[in-house]
Amino acid sequence: MIRIKKQHWLIYGSLILASIVVLYPFFFMIINSFKTGAEIMHTPNALPTDWSFRGYIEVFNSINLGRIFLNTIFIATSVTVLNCLFSSMVAFAIVKTNMPGREFWLKLILSSMMIPAILFTIPVYMMMYDWNWVNTYRVLIIPGSISAYNIFLLVQFMKQIDNAYLEAARIDGASEFRIFFKVVLPMLRPALATVGILTFMGAWNDFMGPLLYIRDDSMLTLQMALFKFQSDVPGGKLEQLWAMTTMIAVPVVFVFFFLQKNFIKAFTGVGVK
Amino acid sequence: MKFKENWIAYLFLMPWILYFLVFLLYPFFLSFQNSFLDINVLNPENTRFVGLGNWLMVATDAKFWLSLFNVLFNQIIFVALSFVIALTAALMLNEVTFMASLFRTILFVPVITSITVAMIIFDFLAAPTGPIQSSMVGTGLLDQPVFWKFEQWLPMPVIAVFSSWKWFGVQMIIFLGGIASINKSLYEAAELDGASWWRKVTCITLPMIKPQIVFVLTINIINGLQMFVEVFMNFDLQGGPYNAALTPVLYLYQTGFEQMKMGQASTIGLLLALIIYTLTMMQLKLTSKGDNQ
Repeated sequence: MIRIKKQHWLIYGSLILASIVVLYPFFFMIINSFKTGAEIMHTPNALPTDWSFRGYIEVFNSINLGRIFLNTIFIATSVTVLNCLFSSMVAFAIVKTNMPGREFWLKLILSSMMIPAILFTIPVYMMMYDWNWVNTYRVLIIPGSISAYNIFLLVQFMKQIDNAYLEAARIDGASEFRIFFKVVLPMLRPALATVGILTFMGAWNDFMGPLLYIRDDSMLTLQMALFKFQSDVPGGKLEQLWAMTTMIAVPVVFVFFFLQKNFIKAFTGVGVK
Repeated sequence: MKFKENWIAYLFLMPWILYFLVFLLYPFFLSFQNSFLDINVLNPENTRFVGLGNWLMVATDAKFWLSLFNVLFNQIIFVALSFVIALTAALMLNEVTFMASLFRTILFVPVITSITVAMIIFDFLAAPTGPIQSSMVGTGLLDQPVFWKFEQWLPMPVIAVFSSWKWFGVQMIIFLGGIASINKSLYEAAELDGASWWRKVTCITLPMIKPQIVFVLTINIINGLQMFVEVFMNFDLQGGPYNAALTPVLYLYQTGFEQMKMGQASTIGLLLALIIYTLTMMQLKLTSKGDNQ
């Protein structure tokens, strides 16, 4: 039996209350996704009188949800794989080589994080327009394929790798590339899981990128499709809107519950220091 | 041998050098150049030099300053509210062990939810017929439902409450990390001296997690002042009838992508970045006061 101290009951009470406040919006979303449109309008707060799956079935006729899921998975996966590779290459150059100016590059990377991203929105858009990159997948992938924050996190992790492993490999005659791919990357695996999750989540939830650059409906991402659906038919097809919202939100929550340790590490990477 | 090693090291550094030149340095110069031009990306042949015209226009534009006021108004409420919620949650989670990680996970769920999903749910929750207002009317807290999006003073505080729900989890996790690293003997010594719970929080916990607090404030300034999706999804590009939800980034979007005034929009971006940067530096200066190193 687990015994709980008396003064802890108050804390558990508050934590349960806080959990209800945090989870209620999701509960509201799920119950509404099983109602008919009229019921959502008239009794938004009650449980459905008659559980209906109409929203879930019809939303697939309204939009090509499968394609949109695939687009989003493709973009987010590409960004994550490239970003993990490139960011750890840079971290490797800074931590594990004798390159002159390592301090300078690290400072440059760190100070670039202080520049608000909004500064680059208009000029990058104009660049992309000139390069004819508007309405392509690469406009959402290439600019996200490396990030200062990830380099910073990976530098912290890379510092913990003992140089003896690298020296041993060098003595065996391994090239720097071999060392990077066969020694360093495998040892970075837990760190890459953390950095990867953060990057994947950022790409998955990206709003501004698709809003500015994607024009074709066949290239939409989940967030943009959801936004368009909501703004194209205000107040219409409500059961489909709720069904779609639920289908987008619930898988993410499931993945989060399985990988929560990595998620939490990703967010505290900088905080604990 | 030495040269060869350096050459390889620069090869590893290459992704950053390219990214820095192409996506940071060049756009920065482009942005600066644009701010002196009247330019439209769709017909660049009509570009003309306007000198400080854009800067004067933005600096004397009441709407730009209103948008800045709006977002600061929002941030003051958000920072205070989310700080209190996050710190309280972190202190509570630190007290208990049984099921602590389950509660921590649950309280973090809004953070991993996409802003689009969260905004759609929130729009219905806060609607005049939604559960929040219905129960407030039911318990007599409100006389009648409020159309908050069309009010002059309500949009920013309401969004601040929403953002606190959405983001307190990040701060909570960061504070938890800080609290966990505090040496337990400090609390034991304080207990021997008969210090109350409140005194232990204000005299030990808060000073010891100062680095985490500074970090949280810094990311709040940088991210918070660039608020966009929250207002873009639920308001028109003017930010409602009183421009009450007009934020600087919404204004930049409206200027650049609706009116196609890229020069003026670049100026807004530069000015906003400068303001954010100054505020961040001021905040770091203020919070580092009293530090010995």
